[in-house]
Amino acid sequence: MTDTKTLAYINMYAILGTLENLCELVPEASDLLKGKKPVSIGFDVKGGPSATLFFKNGKCRMEQGVDNCDIKLPFSSPAKFNGLIDGTVTPIPSKGFTHIKFLLNEFTKLTDILTKYMKPEPEALSDREFFVRSTSLMLSAITVAVAQIANNDSIGKFTASHIVDGDIALLIKDGPGTTLRVKDHRLLGIKAPPENPRAIMEFKSIELARDLFDGNVNAVASIGDGSIRMSGMISMIDNLNRLLDRVALYLA
Amino acid sequence: MATNIYKYSKSREYFERAAKVVPSGVYGHLGPAEGCMIPVTSFPLFAASAKGSHFTDVDGNDFIDYMCAYGPNVLGYGDEDVDAAVLEQAKIANCTTSPSIKLIELAELMVDTVASADWAFFAKNGGDTTTAAIMAARAHTSKKKIIFVKGFYHGVAPWTQKIDYPGVTPEDVSGNLYVDWNDFDALEKLIAENEGEVAAFISTPYMHGNFIDNQLPADGYWQKVRKLCTEKGIVLIVDDVRCGFRLDLAGSDHYYGFEADLICFCKALANGWSVSALCGKEFIKSSVSALSYTGSYWLSSAPFAAAIVCINKLKKLNAPALFREKGIKLTDGFTAAGKEHGFDLVVSGEPALFYLRIANDDSLFIHQDWVQECVKRGMFITNHHNHFICASHSDEDINRSIEIAEDAFKAVKKKHPGI
Repeated sequence: MTDTKTLAYINMYAILGTLENLCELVPEASDLLKGKKPVSIGFDVKGGPSATLFFKNGKCRMEQGVDNCDIKLPFSSPAKFNGLIDGTVTPIPSKGFTHIKFLLNEFTKLTDILTKYMKPEPEALSDREFFVRSTSLMLSAITVAVAQIANNDSIGKFTASHIVDGDIALLIKDGPGTTLRVKDHRLLGIKAPPENPRAIMEFKSIELARDLFDGNVNAVASIGDGSIRMSGMISMIDNLNRLLDRVALYLA
Repeated sequence: MATNIYKYSKSREYFERAAKVVPSGVYGHLGPAEGCMIPVTSFPLFAASAKGSHFTDVDGNDFIDYMCAYGPNVLGYGDEDVDAAVLEQAKIANCTTSPSIKLIELAELMVDTVASADWAFFAKNGGDTTTAAIMAARAHTSKKKIIFVKGFYHGVAPWTQKIDYPGVTPEDVSGNLYVDWNDFDALEKLIAENEGEVAAFISTPYMHGNFIDNQLPADGYWQKVRKLCTEKGIVLIVDDVRCGFRLDLAGSDHYYGFEADLICFCKALANGWSVSALCGKEFIKSSVSALSYTGSYWLSSAPFAAAIVCINKLKKLNAPALFREKGIKLTDGFTAAGKEHGFDLVVSGEPALFYLRIANDDSLFIHQDWVQECVKRGMFITNHHNHFICASHSDEDINRSIEIAEDAFKAVKKKHPGI
């Protein structure tokens, strides 16, 4: 019950887009880029998303479109692009052959680091610093994935059609927070908490957030025992939970 | 009267115990998540006893209860006449191989009471009867599609849920069409777009959805809907599970001046004893007879005995007028108290099932804060759902409730001095 095109949007913005946060949070990632000439990689998916990752001064930034990229990777379909993410498709650049070394070395290493944090080995999570970074990255990725599902997946769009305008805050107490901004039933994932939320869903700890992300605990049960606090327009939270259920389907 | 701020240590202990053996600890609308208990620490989670318009929780806190078990408490908890009838019938027979003639007595009473009823079919929950209604409409028309009003709630069977709900498949809801409440033109257009395919239009008598101000029918809306359904051969189903007998003992369709083809009752039928009823017109009776649809306890006679006494008592009290009067008195008091402290408390829906929302912000943060301050002071209300008046709500209850509301407004104002 998932859709290839929606998965491509999730892979583009929630997975590759999380390289932005990876380079901020993980020195191992930003160190790969330091002292290197700025470079950008455009991912152009026919019938799907199109975006460019800019790498400069140890940082990474994603922008819509591929007009200003150094390396351009075209994909003939969302399925082919999804193949890049799951490792079954090797991309062939249509532009930027002189930068191919970056693609093969630094970019590949960056995505390997991202995988290490997004799909961690259980023992890696016993390191507190790794655990916090990994869970923070997951929060960002999940927030963006929720928006992509709301905007692209047929069932997600049905859910979005029931959400009123405003900002939903997704917060970890004493930790990071994100925003889902709703306007005319389209959602935008923002990797920072909102100033004036209309609804709040707050996890009591980063450990609880992790357990929820990993599917080890249930949101409804956690609301009951007080480990998730919800307030404001509860209909927004209710619908957010339906979208989160679909994130689990796509990112399983 | 001094205000005691309640604590819930025993509720929390029991909840932790429950969570080990019960999904979510307390699931569904009585639980903290679906019941929107915000924050959960301000609400009782388990009741110890109940009488009249009050219940006492496991910590010994007493509440004036405006949720009335989400509707079934219509006369008052532990009504002596109803409960005596149940006990008496239980001694004679309850769940038996052949049903008791209480089945006939209750069906006759329903037909005599409900204006649009030529017959009555009994089950346990409201959702049993909405499902029976949909099946009957499809059986009668040999059509598949059902039109719902957006924001609807008709129970928990898969067809009543939405495509994005856990455990629901697209096939479960593939025949569902949606239209805005009170929008007759849109309904007419939707029916035209699905000409010859619509089995039924199902709706509550007015829009009493959660999280939004409740909306009464526009002038002439129901009459136009009735005419259109008749012209198009569409079965008109009124889900009167929530409002039934609180607005009009002849049915809420009667209250709003039209006749449903099928009408569903539950909450106010038997003062907490488990029975629901689908009533309808003669023309669709044979389709209901044809349904393969039954349940182990549906013809148990003790709840029938409760319903007979309850309905007769509601008639004797002229209960709908009483509920309206009490609802107006209570909500007028709330509104005035709010105004005095700078709160814009919006009251909507019918007074017997009033809905509350503080409109000072558009997020419900202030409203939720006020509701929890009320609950902690001994008045059980919710921040997301309509409320219910029962016959046992006394003037003393109402006056005390207004005092609590005012005290809660003061407490919220302290936290939000800008109001």
